[in-house]
Amino acid sequence: MITVGGHGEDNPNVSWLNSRGMWLTYSIVVTLLHLFLLSVPFLSIPVAWTLTNLIHNSINFVFLHVLKGAPWEPQDQGLARRLTHWEQIDYGVQFTSTRKFLTIFPIILFFLASFYTRYDPRHFILNFVTLLFVVIPKLPQFHRVRLFGINKY
Amino acid sequence: MLNISGDYIYQSIIQAPIYHLLLEGILFMWVIWLLKRKKINPTEEQPLSAKEQQQIIDHFEPKPLIYNGDSRDEGVEGDESSEIDWGTIDGPAGKYIEIDGTKYLNLATHNYLGFVEEPSILDETERCIRQYGVGSCGPRGFYGTVDVHLELEEAIAKFLNLEETALYAYSFAAISSAIPSYAKRGDVIFADEHVNFAIQRGLIASRSEIRYFKHNDVEDLTRLLNLQRKADLQNPVKAKAIRRFCVVEGIYSKTGLICPLKEISELCLEFKVRLFVDESISFGAIGQTGRGITEYLNVPRENIDFISGSLEQGLGAFGGFIVGSSYVVDHQRISGLGYCFSASLPPMLAGAGIQALKLIESNPQLIQELQNNCEYMDRKLRSLSVFTISGHPLSPVKHMSLKKSFGSRKTDKLLLKEIAFHVRENAKIAVVMPAYLEKEEKTLLPPSIRIAVNRLLKDNEMDDVVTALKEAANVVLSKPDLPDYDEPKSQN
Repeated sequence: MITVGGHGEDNPNVSWLNSRGMWLTYSIVVTLLHLFLLSVPFLSIPVAWTLTNLIHNSINFVFLHVLKGAPWEPQDQGLARRLTHWEQIDYGVQFTSTRKFLTIFPIILFFLASFYTRYDPRHFILNFVTLLFVVIPKLPQFHRVRLFGINKY
Repeated sequence: MLNISGDYIYQSIIQAPIYHLLLEGILFMWVIWLLKRKKINPTEEQPLSAKEQQQIIDHFEPKPLIYNGDSRDEGVEGDESSEIDWGTIDGPAGKYIEIDGTKYLNLATHNYLGFVEEPSILDETERCIRQYGVGSCGPRGFYGTVDVHLELEEAIAKFLNLEETALYAYSFAAISSAIPSYAKRGDVIFADEHVNFAIQRGLIASRSEIRYFKHNDVEDLTRLLNLQRKADLQNPVKAKAIRRFCVVEGIYSKTGLICPLKEISELCLEFKVRLFVDESISFGAIGQTGRGITEYLNVPRENIDFISGSLEQGLGAFGGFIVGSSYVVDHQRISGLGYCFSASLPPMLAGAGIQALKLIESNPQLIQELQNNCEYMDRKLRSLSVFTISGHPLSPVKHMSLKKSFGSRKTDKLLLKEIAFHVRENAKIAVVMPAYLEKEEKTLLPPSIRIAVNRLLKDNEMDDVVTALKEAANVVLSKPDLPDYDEPKSQN
């Protein structure tokens, strides 16, 4: 277990995505993932793009919108226990830079994937459905909303 | 991927279905809208306008640097007990206490086993001062641990035959840090309505849902537990995510009564509720060998998740502790706020604690003497007709309240205060009324005089106490010209 200390934050989940160089790191990691997929011999370019998109979106969805709480012990008396990571960012304030970045990034990725798959309907359906999964929960209207009580407690 | 010619792009866009272009258009617009939206930086402070600044400056009213004696400024409102001037104590508060230069028999402070001024404890304390100095210079995790701390922790755990102890510098901090380190938001805590103030603070700090049951009422607790079980069955997903706790005291400091721990611990096992017992008063005061309520009621200690205790009440030292299984107690070493962020117990007091435990272990008759005194005092006090005595016969804490209220709470308080002063001045016996922050307390009990029995009292001294109380009550309660006395206030 990691104990919290030193940075004056009850819960580091609130702020670690605001760190300097985070956007660059995020983009580089996704690029590296894409280059790795491209280097696999039997994957064509459209498949590599769709896979990049799928992998990025599933990781984004699981870590920002499914997992709740924090991996360490925050001194907040369990405030974060029922909040997803996305809801913890910046204490839930909407339209901050980090939130904008994390919303726009999958959209740009979707544009790229659509372009490189030449707007193929099968690729489009996969890319678009996963895009909805990562963009809709990020809308301010869905803050702390659990559809049908899924993942509520 | 890399050979993108203009022709390729053109071809792709031509081939793109119309719905796709529309969708991309919408997404693109949204991105633009997001980017153009006013940036909110949560860490940046909004600068105040000149007008706002002026407003704050105009409203600023400096407080006097020196306390001007007006308690409404400093104290908590509605807390009249803090206004009572009981005098200034000189020297140790042992069997006798010196207030403003006069020596009184002491029944006001907690010193059940008479260990204040016990020579062997004083010797050990002196030895510790010579060896370690007076302070420990840091929290336990930050250069504040000295070997006597570890020895005392081990001694307490061994004394109670449990695995591990976490030692706190102050017993109020022990229980009020321990509760919030386990119970968090959304959890449920069942607590007795008359738990002491430290527990109440802990309950508030935990941010959990608190359900109070009636004082020592097992049936009421069962009712609440059944309600919780019903709610859990209706929403099993939620039930899985919450924890349930029960907090009781061994001997309640506010009423002097003993908790029916056997029944409560069985209920907690049945309903899968974790049980915390505060033994601030009962540790070292009750049970055949002073091992507290668990020994007295013969409750297996494994069924209790932790026991918190105090070295301040019976043991003549200072500090508090939480003792239980390693699995439970070890958690506090990183999340008990009073443990992590407060300087550790001064080593000399830890040394005093070790010595006090040694004395209890080697002389079980000390406990017997204390219990004889408690029982004797209880019997004698109950012969007084004007007082209601609250407290188990074996409890060293006894509360005497007026059997018949004289109007309002304020009047009763004034009368009891008069009685306490009368006893003090005429019989040279110090008794006191317990002080509460009345606005902050969960429940208010009738005002009372608190008698703290200790082992060193002789039978004839206790007789004197009771006689003095009787006389004082006769004098005070027959006096017709007490302020507020003739006109009882309407509020009860």
